[in-house]
Amino acid sequence: MARFLKRPAAMVALMALIVPILAACGGAPAAPEVVRETVVVVQTAEPVRETVVVVATPEAGAAGGAFTTPHPILGDPKVRQAIAYCTNRPELIQSVYSYLTPEQQQGLLMDTNLPKTHWAVATEADGIVTYPFDPEKGKALLEEAGWTLAEGQTVRTKDGAPLTLEFTTTNAQFRITWATVLEKQLLDNCGIQIIRKHAPASWWFGGASGLRRRDFELGAFAWVGEADPAGRTLYACDQIPLPDNNWNGQNYMGWCNEAASRAITAANNTLNREERIKNYKAFQVEFTKDMVSLPLFQRLEAYGWNKALQNMKPDPTEYITANAYEWARSDNEDTIILGFTQEPASMFTLVESAAVQRQAAQLVGGVLTTQYSYDFQPVLQDGLATIESGKAKNEVVEVKEGDIVWDATGAAVELKPGVELVNSDGETITYESGTVKMNQLTVTYDLIEGITWSDGEPLKQADLELGVKIACDPDSGAVSYTFCESHQGAEGVNVTSDTSYTITFLPGVQWPTYFLAPYGGYPSHQTVSDGRKLADVPAKEWATLPEVAETPLGYGPYILKEWNKGQSMVFEANPNFVLGEPKVKNVIIQFFADTNAAVAALLTGEVDILEKATLGAGPEVETVLKAAAEGKIEAKTDASPTWEHMDMNLFVR
Amino acid sequence: MATTTSVAPETAERSQPRSEGQWAVVFRRFRRHRLAMISLAVLVIIFIASLLAPWIAPFPRDDIGLNRVALPPMSVDPTNGRLHILGTDHLGRDFFTRVIYAARVSLMVAISVTTLVAIIGSILGLLAGFFGGWTDTLISRVMEFVATIPDLPILLILSAIMIQNADLIVLPSWIIGPVAWIMAVPLREATQVTLLILVLASLGWVGVARLMRGMVLQVREMQYIESARALGGANAWILGKHVFPNAFPPLIVAFTLGLNAALVSEVAISFLGFGVQDPTPTWGNMMGFATSYMFNHPWMPLIPGLPIFLCSLAFNFVGDGLRDALDPRLKI
Amino acid sequence: MTTYLVRRLFQMLIVTVLSAMLGYSLLYLAPGGPLLFLQQMQNTGQNRVTEEDIARIKARYELDLYLPVRFTRWLIGFPRGPVQIFGVYLLPPDTVVGCAIPGQVRLRYPDGTVEIVEEGCARPVTLADLEERRTSRGILFGDFGLSQQIARDRPVSDLLMSRLPYTLWLMGVSTLLAILIGVPVGIYSAVRQYSRFDYAMTTITFIGSSLPTLFMGVMAILIFSVLAKDAGLPYLPSGGAQAVRDYTIPWIGRVEAGSLLDRFLRFIMPVSVLTFFNIAGWSRFVRASMLEVLRQDYVRTARAKGVREQLVITKHALRNALIPFVTLLAGVLPTLVAGAAITESVFNWPGMGRLLVDSLGRSDYTVAMAILFISTVLVLIGYLISDILYTIVDPRIRLS
Repeated sequence: MARFLKRPAAMVALMALIVPILAACGGAPAAPEVVRETVVVVQTAEPVRETVVVVATPEAGAAGGAFTTPHPILGDPKVRQAIAYCTNRPELIQSVYSYLTPEQQQGLLMDTNLPKTHWAVATEADGIVTYPFDPEKGKALLEEAGWTLAEGQTVRTKDGAPLTLEFTTTNAQFRITWATVLEKQLLDNCGIQIIRKHAPASWWFGGASGLRRRDFELGAFAWVGEADPAGRTLYACDQIPLPDNNWNGQNYMGWCNEAASRAITAANNTLNREERIKNYKAFQVEFTKDMVSLPLFQRLEAYGWNKALQNMKPDPTEYITANAYEWARSDNEDTIILGFTQEPASMFTLVESAAVQRQAAQLVGGVLTTQYSYDFQPVLQDGLATIESGKAKNEVVEVKEGDIVWDATGAAVELKPGVELVNSDGETITYESGTVKMNQLTVTYDLIEGITWSDGEPLKQADLELGVKIACDPDSGAVSYTFCESHQGAEGVNVTSDTSYTITFLPGVQWPTYFLAPYGGYPSHQTVSDGRKLADVPAKEWATLPEVAETPLGYGPYILKEWNKGQSMVFEANPNFVLGEPKVKNVIIQFFADTNAAVAALLTGEVDILEKATLGAGPEVETVLKAAAEGKIEAKTDASPTWEHMDMNLFVR
Repeated sequence: MATTTSVAPETAERSQPRSEGQWAVVFRRFRRHRLAMISLAVLVIIFIASLLAPWIAPFPRDDIGLNRVALPPMSVDPTNGRLHILGTDHLGRDFFTRVIYAARVSLMVAISVTTLVAIIGSILGLLAGFFGGWTDTLISRVMEFVATIPDLPILLILSAIMIQNADLIVLPSWIIGPVAWIMAVPLREATQVTLLILVLASLGWVGVARLMRGMVLQVREMQYIESARALGGANAWILGKHVFPNAFPPLIVAFTLGLNAALVSEVAISFLGFGVQDPTPTWGNMMGFATSYMFNHPWMPLIPGLPIFLCSLAFNFVGDGLRDALDPRLKI
Repeated sequence: MTTYLVRRLFQMLIVTVLSAMLGYSLLYLAPGGPLLFLQQMQNTGQNRVTEEDIARIKARYELDLYLPVRFTRWLIGFPRGPVQIFGVYLLPPDTVVGCAIPGQVRLRYPDGTVEIVEEGCARPVTLADLEERRTSRGILFGDFGLSQQIARDRPVSDLLMSRLPYTLWLMGVSTLLAILIGVPVGIYSAVRQYSRFDYAMTTITFIGSSLPTLFMGVMAILIFSVLAKDAGLPYLPSGGAQAVRDYTIPWIGRVEAGSLLDRFLRFIMPVSVLTFFNIAGWSRFVRASMLEVLRQDYVRTARAKGVREQLVITKHALRNALIPFVTLLAGVLPTLVAGAAITESVFNWPGMGRLLVDSLGRSDYTVAMAILFISTVLVLIGYLISDILYTIVDPRIRLS
């Protein structure tokens, strides 16, 4: 409330300062005269008022029909396909990654919503439509749709209206660069005029503005791909943000294709990979056919490191620190320095999720599993807990009224008539009475034997119990407890030994990545500065404790010795690490103000590793690649899981 | 810091009423400052070049060519053999063309901001200094208040508001039109530039006001003002006839140096991405792009950097020359 | 004088509070904010964010309180709960001070479409709720509170203290150097006006102040660090206040991390850039001031009396020329603490300027407001001092 009401109020106050000055010269826009009559119609348990609005002017009534009128230009699939054909994507890639070889540039091109190397990607053989640069085809489609180019004109028209679209994206240099090229391509090749609007990211991705309010015609941004493709919230019919569902969902295009929606929902409702691939491919066929969102290219990501380093494993879907315990140096130095442009807010993993924090946490806490190459591998977890391995079972159970189940929207609810749920056949049904068959997952996670805290104390059952307890305590400061709720917190977790626990999920819970151990331990034996045992400290205080937030105890390959705020974090090899003491004695994370400064430090040898989050894909990469070509450092580029695309809004407000 | 030190010197100067032909004297003195004369010439050349941009630019302003990106100065386009005097930018657009177009926006912003600042600042400063008492207290506190307003958050918020509600702030077309025409930018951008000008001006007048107030405080105590009062002169008459002319010379100097400050502000803001956006070039946004390429093409930031540097230097020299020339005690 | 001071200090307090109020509301007006990440992850599968989650996070950042309440809690640590005097509640526990979960209203339009908008409040926050919360003593009483983003839940004062020495050191030394170089240059330029020396110095100092520090900084790194190292020459480390491991520089040898030499080498570039940038301001000021004094009657009298030129300059002219200079020093005060954001960023100097930019970028309002507040106070103190110094310098100006 404070945020939603006070903010506009303060904005009005600010405007009150500015507007009179301007109004004195020109006058403010006339506010539409809307008479509001508030009538309380329904008063249910939830305080929802039904309000009837009487609109004085007929035009203002259109505001009610938000997003039901098809967009006059983009509502036509021919125009959308034409835009795709008229876009020379290789040239866009060239404009931002000119330093790559043509083959490397080609490798960044995307045809669907999944990267070419993903296990669920569909190809032309699967029936997807591709849109190679072909202005002739594009022009033909536009002619067919009635958009014609008059003699001597540059912009096509139809019934006197010009083919002009607003194109919104962030004001990042990288996007300004390729958008400048796109603007020219569409105009020169096909007579489509786009008006670029580069907004601050905080507006474009903001809570009540930009994308989330579907305030765009063409809109470009990036999604971050993951090992698990997910995607239901992006493309399903019930995920279209609208005023009457309080803007929930991320299907900003307003795209509802029954077949695609069914396929993507089905793909997310099964744990069988073959089944998932089949559904994802079916989805991609529809996705490319309708052309509601043009996948442009995968971003580039780059790494640079000192030639003396060995066993570096840069990968698009895993952090470089994931295998820190294997790092070595070929010279006689005993320190490796990582450069970062951001500093973690806290080492308490529950309250901070930045990439740099994850990497520091991997050094201190080790990794249970890794996700190299869009797939999963166990490290401190003793084998993935898959159904095939026998560690997990997905059984059909019967539920009845009053049971706690996982409903179709993904929330724990008590079963009563009217609840929507997904039954064991994968169908979404509305519960009425009697019993329903649902899938229930029970998974046993084993950690490898011999895990020891860096102070020499072995990992114990109490530590794992504390891990679950803190992670599921709403006072700990974490954002979301959905996962905890899916197994009813500590209730659903049974820690059976010092290295093993079993989670019984609620009926209906089908996490696609169920086989990854979700919880590690906290050192219950640790004593904090005021003499209490960590296990006795309430979750509310955890984020404020230096023993948790600044120099936590872990069982990973390194120990965090010192954290000079704003400058560096100093790690030392953990002699008690379960996979053996790391060869390199010290790892240091050094913080830089910007990428330029970090690259300068890499080139002068002050820093040994710059990873993808720091190096990015800007012009600095060219410097690093050049230095690598001269043999000064090692460098690698990858197609990033982050991919740029252009959404087309199918409806107008 | 820079503004404090560059404006404050004038408070030390004092002046007296001038006789006829004073401007001839001033100009004669100004000519003696050779560097200032050269600077003035440079400024005039840049200014004229920017006005003539559509006619003297060798290429269209937004002529993208990915086969000729980041060409160094004096290189020849491999495809059509045309010369790029200052090279090309990261999208293959001709730097020389863009630099002279950019001058329109950058110089226009600098000039309008400084003019507004001089008007607001001198009026408030005059009032505060001349009337004293609660008027002075109020205006002085307002000055202090404005001086403490952080400009970065303000600009951030304004740029967001401008995008959110492009028509929330309606500027009359008789302002936007000429701005768009002079700067050769589309109307939407002109609105943005105008708002930028207004914000910079409304945050920047404190220096001039303080200077003016200081001047008036000194002049006010002079005997001739007292005699004017004794003769029963109205406040407005005394202000206009005696106080203002005496406070005017340092104002001119402050104006010149203010041009420099405003130019640098525009550069900084566009550099940070809050000002005018590509494809409309300004020296600031060109600089922003060029600096990210500077490790590989160290000459690139020099291209927009050079005119910024030249103008900045020239403003400084002209200000310096004027300061010397206007000093009344300098009898030559 | 005393009444004037008391009145000025009182007015200063008002201006400080007003300015803090404006800064505070501006920050919360700015798009983005600590809830931005929440909204981004709100709908992504596993991390479904519920109303409860949002309410909890909002309470954490006090975003569920009305802005004026939030402001007074930040400024003076009030209210921390219900206010009671002699058993009578002045502000009873059920006083509403905010809203945890906004109410939703369904709007039904004549054409049958429905829209849900946020209006009213479904779960208000009352004074009784505040009792359980952490409350700072208020920034006016020296409690800066806890950081929200940059060092989550750790005291802001720790964060400031970790940066302050570096900023004071960098700004202090560069200002001192600028004065030490600028003043003599200014004096000499004035004495030999329009000489070759004057022109040369004018040009050099103006070049310094006309080059953007960003450009100067990156060029310095490119030349003295990267290229020098490539050429096998002794080079300067590219940034940071101190090394994290030992390194070798040709001709100089092994430099120990954190040693005096290491710190000195890293100090050279940022301090030179800042000094170069600032010399012009000081030297031009002194030159103008000196020129004026040199034309005063008493200097002419001294000369006429046959006092040696050198003595005229040092004893008669200089002393008087430097008096107005003192008033300028007050203006330096805020910059000493606020730092120089761009130079600090380029040279990776862990200073306050960078902290401010970071905190604005990451919406850490407590940190940003702490820095803005400190600099506001220093700006005002600087003004007060310079106003007082004015009257001392020029007795004709009365303080009234």
